[in-house]
Amino acid sequence: MIMEAVKNGDLQQASTLFERYNKRIFNFLARLAMDRALAEDLTQNVFLRIIKYRGSYKEGARFQSWIYQVARNVFSDHYQAHKNKYSDFVDVEKLKDNMPETEDEPWEEKEKLLHRSMAMLPDEQRELLVLTRFQHMKYEEVAQIMNTTVANIKVKVHRAVAKLREHYFELEKN
Amino acid sequence: MNGSRDPQDDMEKEKLESLLIDFIDGKLSEEERKTVEQELVRNAEAFTLYEQLKEVIQAMNNASRLEPSDHLKVSFDKMLQEEMGKQQTGKTVFFRPSLYRVAAAVLLLVLGGGIGFWISKQQQQATELARMKEEMDRTKQLLIGMLDNQNSASQRVEGATVAYKSVVKADDEIVNALVKAMNDDPNTNVRMAALEALRKFQHQPYVRKMLVASLSTQKDPMVQIALIRLMVEMKEKGVTEELQRITTEEGVLPAVKDEAHIGLMRLS
Repeated sequence: MIMEAVKNGDLQQASTLFERYNKRIFNFLARLAMDRALAEDLTQNVFLRIIKYRGSYKEGARFQSWIYQVARNVFSDHYQAHKNKYSDFVDVEKLKDNMPETEDEPWEEKEKLLHRSMAMLPDEQRELLVLTRFQHMKYEEVAQIMNTTVANIKVKVHRAVAKLREHYFELEKN
Repeated sequence: MNGSRDPQDDMEKEKLESLLIDFIDGKLSEEERKTVEQELVRNAEAFTLYEQLKEVIQAMNNASRLEPSDHLKVSFDKMLQEEMGKQQTGKTVFFRPSLYRVAAAVLLLVLGGGIGFWISKQQQQATELARMKEEMDRTKQLLIGMLDNQNSASQRVEGATVAYKSVVKADDEIVNALVKAMNDDPNTNVRMAALEALRKFQHQPYVRKMLVASLSTQKDPMVQIALIRLMVEMKEKGVTEELQRITTEEGVLPAVKDEAHIGLMRLS
């Protein structure tokens, strides 16, 4: 409903959408990009696109699915544009610089371990885990966002969890 | 641990992992759940796998939420204001507490109604004016084009007639086109029609000046006579010298000289 108002020119309503979704989108992008500063820039881009391309929002569509689709596009456009600058995998050693825990949220050892093993997953697997596990999104909605079937999402999520387990306990041994 | 397995074992392991994840997620039927529980009791390797899967799943579930910096909100507000500015709906004042927002909304609604009514009136007038101006511009271009039509004298006469009938106040462009037609057009009818049109604008200073100037250069007797009559009508005393010259100049038609005499009498 709010997005429909924005679409019809009431841009002020975008503030409400920002209040409701900025943290979710920021968390999604930060976990996906593994870089907080970058995630803030990308989150800003997501909301800019939502305002700029408000005309492409289909009335009656679920807004949350739409904003996540926009966020995925912003993320993938960013990496398309920086193809030569970044390699396919995240450099685990550099993560400490990009994802520093703030003073009021000190990370426990386990969480650091989780973070490092997440970094070892390919983008697609990491993304699926962020959506379904970190953000507790239902398989149905993820399937809608990624334009695929629920069964397909479930198989992929299970594989990603299994892979994460491997990395996690490998790292724990060292 | 997984390096030397054959594909069959890998498939089995994937099936087991999937079952265990559903088990941890609480997504199994009663019957499936019992089967898994029995397997976990019986198979130590499966139990370790279960324990480890449970740990990573719980770690993800309980991962802390990341907080964006205040900068994000600030830059969003800035961006939104820019976009609203581009939208050209005027400036918007941001009120944080919702009470102010509601109050402002009500105030704006009331004011907006009144202002909107007033604006729509203004806009109607502005639109009307713009439409008229557009029409005038069209007429102007049309008549100038007609006056300039080298192939058709009747078109040029028509152009002068349009100027006479449709133009309320002639601008310099129209006046110059008419003066040029009056002085230089090879066809008498066109010259006369142009003069007739200019006569209508005789109260405009520039037109008056051009008419006076034309008297000294005009060679067409018909136009000369009409011009002298117009000068009398306009009570243009500044042309007496010129009229004197016409009465004495050689080669000027007697009818023109007579008209100049009459003019001199009336103006002095």
